Amino acid sequence: MREKSESVSAPFSMAELLAHALTIELEAVQSYRELAQQMQQCGNDEVAELFDRMSALEAEHAAKIRRTAGAIELPELAPWEYRWPGLESPENIDLAGVHYLMTPYQALQLALDNENNAMAFFEAAANTSTDDRVRALAQEFADDERQHVAWMQDWLSKYTPPGDDWDYDPDPPVAID
Amino acid sequence: MSAQTPCKLKASDYKSDTKPVWCPGCGDFHVLLSLSKAAAEIGLQPEKIAVISGIGCSSRIPAYMNCYGFHGIHGRALPLATGVKVARPDLTVICAGGDGDGFSIGGNHLLHACRRNIDITYVVMDNEVYGMTKGQPSPTTAPDWDSKIAPGGIGISPFYPLVIALASGANFVARAFSGDPNGTTQILVDAIRHPGFSFVQILSPCVTFRPDQRDWKKQVHAAPVKPTSDASQAARRVMTDDGFNIGVLYKGSRDPYQQHVGHDIRFDRDIDEEFLP
Repeated sequence: MREKSESVSAPFSMAELLAHALTIELEAVQSYRELAQQMQQCGNDEVAELFDRMSALEAEHAAKIRRTAGAIELPELAPWEYRWPGLESPENIDLAGVHYLMTPYQALQLALDNENNAMAFFEAAANTSTDDRVRALAQEFADDERQHVAWMQDWLSKYTPPGDDWDYDPDPPVAID
Repeated sequence: MSAQTPCKLKASDYKSDTKPVWCPGCGDFHVLLSLSKAAAEIGLQPEKIAVISGIGCSSRIPAYMNCYGFHGIHGRALPLATGVKVARPDLTVICAGGDGDGFSIGGNHLLHACRRNIDITYVVMDNEVYGMTKGQPSPTTAPDWDSKIAPGGIGISPFYPLVIALASGANFVARAFSGDPNGTTQILVDAIRHPGFSFVQILSPCVTFRPDQRDWKKQVHAAPVKPTSDASQAARRVMTDDGFNIGVLYKGSRDPYQQHVGHDIRFDRDIDEEFLP
């Protein structure tokens, strides 16, 4: 296991910033899509639909980053060479927070945490940058994530937090009597 | 691993269209991701990879990968993988499964696979429980794990896979954590590239039958030492291990098994001679 890197203490070049931004979004697209499939298999259709919508949202953001990158050649980094604040990309899904009976509120909370992580990542990138163009782009990405945070919060307000018995299963997997 | 012409594919290209039926939150999802990323990072051609497994939740993994695969019988993944590698040394052979499959039913095969040192990477997704059959204690379950099926715990000392692999002659020994997919990818890349038998224990939580394992992410930590090529040093380290050190423990330099030079084995011809009039 690698030690956590000290985030974005060294400034990003334009190409590095774009490579990190694109990877954040592409991994999020894939993760949310897979979560949607998992929830669908468990019959949790409402949460599956939410994850599908999040995947679509991240795909739009990835497309925007690709357009911004244009002809800039992005560095090819091994998965462990990215400079994330933690061990994984800011929008990496923490599987410990996933449950087959999770409620829409919990799914949105998971997504909200990820959006906040991404926003913090880009703000840190903007703050440490010594290049005006890189700083401006990092700030633009941070603003995009801030917009996502606002959407998630708005979305979250439409649901009530789960009760104590949210994970009650009348036919639990542990069925050995 | 076998020398191959590298190709340029994305990690997602190594995933098949078959959707996993693991429980949401299962650590094996991230192991699948890490294996896919490792294959992409090395640039393995999908048709030059064979993933071989036994039985269990984690042993479903060949179906979820876009390469050759064989979902074998319980505990016999390593003999199958050995056969594939001996017959097709040009393939990169990855053997995968769980702790029950690998350490109990297949325990004896583990010893001899390590000893033979054939160029295979063996990935064990260890969740300290038989998940597919509803939560029985496995060889790596702690003696005091209290459950409906083993009230008060089983009271038997667990199996220590890294110690056993090292003592049996594995040429590469490591422990990874599924909750760190990028770190696991790095270890898998290292394991696949290392010649001979590579053994990687991946702590992969079973969130359904071992919900307590959700806390593993708070317990794992980077191994405080670098890998060693000294087996006795590695043994001393692993004997005092807390079970949550993550990283490569041992990289040996023993030559992998190869067919004896000049011994022309042709399986099809030999079988023909045996059975055809």
